[in-house]
Amino acid sequence: MLPIDAAAHGSRWRHRHPVDKAVLGLGLTLLAISLPAWPGAALVLLAALTVLLGPAGVPGRKLWRAARVPLGFCVTGALPLLVRVGGPGGGVGLADGGAVRAGELLLRSSAASLGVLLFAFTTPLSDLLPRLVRAGVPAPVVDVALVTYRMSFLLLDSVRRVRASQAARLGLTTRAAAWRSLGGLGATAFVRAFDRAARLQAGLAGRGYDGTLRVLVPEARVSVRFTAASLALLCALAALTHVLEGPLT
Amino acid sequence: MVPVSQETGQGASSIHEVLERVCPVMHIAEGFLPPAHAIAWGVASAPFVVHGVRSLTREVREHPESTLLLGASGAFTFVLSALKLPSVTGSCSHPTGTGLGAILFRPPVMAVLGTITLLFQALLLAHGGLTTLGANVFSMAIAGPWAGYAVHKLLRRWDVPLMVTVFSAAFVADLCTYCVTSVQLALAFPDPHSGFWGALGTFGSIFAVTQIPLAVSEGLLTVLVMRLLAQSSRGELARLGVLPDRPGKREAVAR
Repeated sequence: MLPIDAAAHGSRWRHRHPVDKAVLGLGLTLLAISLPAWPGAALVLLAALTVLLGPAGVPGRKLWRAARVPLGFCVTGALPLLVRVGGPGGGVGLADGGAVRAGELLLRSSAASLGVLLFAFTTPLSDLLPRLVRAGVPAPVVDVALVTYRMSFLLLDSVRRVRASQAARLGLTTRAAAWRSLGGLGATAFVRAFDRAARLQAGLAGRGYDGTLRVLVPEARVSVRFTAASLALLCALAALTHVLEGPLT
Repeated sequence: MVPVSQETGQGASSIHEVLERVCPVMHIAEGFLPPAHAIAWGVASAPFVVHGVRSLTREVREHPESTLLLGASGAFTFVLSALKLPSVTGSCSHPTGTGLGAILFRPPVMAVLGTITLLFQALLLAHGGLTTLGANVFSMAIAGPWAGYAVHKLLRRWDVPLMVTVFSAAFVADLCTYCVTSVQLALAFPDPHSGFWGALGTFGSIFAVTQIPLAVSEGLLTVLVMRLLAQSSRGELARLGVLPDRPGKREAVAR
């Protein structure tokens, strides 16, 4: 199991309905990209961080581990904004206002990422996927997504073991050996995935498989109080941004 | 010193460590695109994904057992992007898998599998994002696979050897994915002086330094994988339509 999913399964908000958490988490994300970066995205970032570390009970260390990689990419992606091509002096140089644009982009992206992380850290995919049928996603697509989700962990484990075996057989000591091992790893992943699917098919056929994968979904109800509180927070953030926008810019 | 020689079994001690190496450069991060661009790329991707969903639904209704094979294909696509790729320049990154996926599963199915994979990557690994899902789907699950598949089909029609077409398809699919990503970023963040073209030059030149060698690496890896599969899983490849059936092959039968 992956760390974010494992944390979601043990989350304080695990038994809340996904709609509750989607309104709050994805609402924060939408606010982050819709409001002005300063002070809007900064306020959203602060609010998302407070909810994540406070009421949602996500450990700070796990949050940092999950957020640092996308954060690194945000920094890399913002760097080109510091540079201009052409212009009065010609050639390449520092862009006017590039630092401000890059800073705003970083702020907006970090705040939006935290909104999605709030949803991901509190909602296991196994709770979300079966409910997508009610949202209008065709059942066969949801079934394929469910099989993909469950099989991915097994396949990742297989890949890890094969890689460890290749390393133990000195399969990674030279460049040529490393390429050969990597090719073998990709081919083995394909073979194992299809082999597992065939065995799963045989097992399900013995249990009267008719093409539909029925799974139990933990019962949960949409909480009107939680959703109303989330909407109130989102409205407060939007209002505060408009109030502070003038004095702070 | 060979860069991969450090990697021993201990180096890849957990699934998380394997997955932490998934390179996020291929994704546009959450919140990176303005709302109008995020919506526009979502709208642009929608017809391709809907077309893929229709063909997948038809396939599953006709052959219920396909659910498991398609799920396995999705898991393979997800895991493929976690493999660590030694670049010809010595750096390391990860394959997009779009070329191999398009050859094996065809672009319409790849549009759906790619969307599912990108959704999982956004929610399980915090790579990519939900507001940028449309843009990422367009570059990684639509443009890349279609470009790779077109090259594959074209070269096969001219009787070019299979492994040459496989290399070309993977190379073109990889490069096309990054070109589209550069266009998406340049449209969202045009250069103040030189506009869209200046920004495209900046993003393109940054990507080109790393991505052309990586596209070559991905092409080589895809050839290696396909060569092994042609030996070990000829039946599956024939069923997927990658290799021709061998009707002339005589098999012993009990009468």
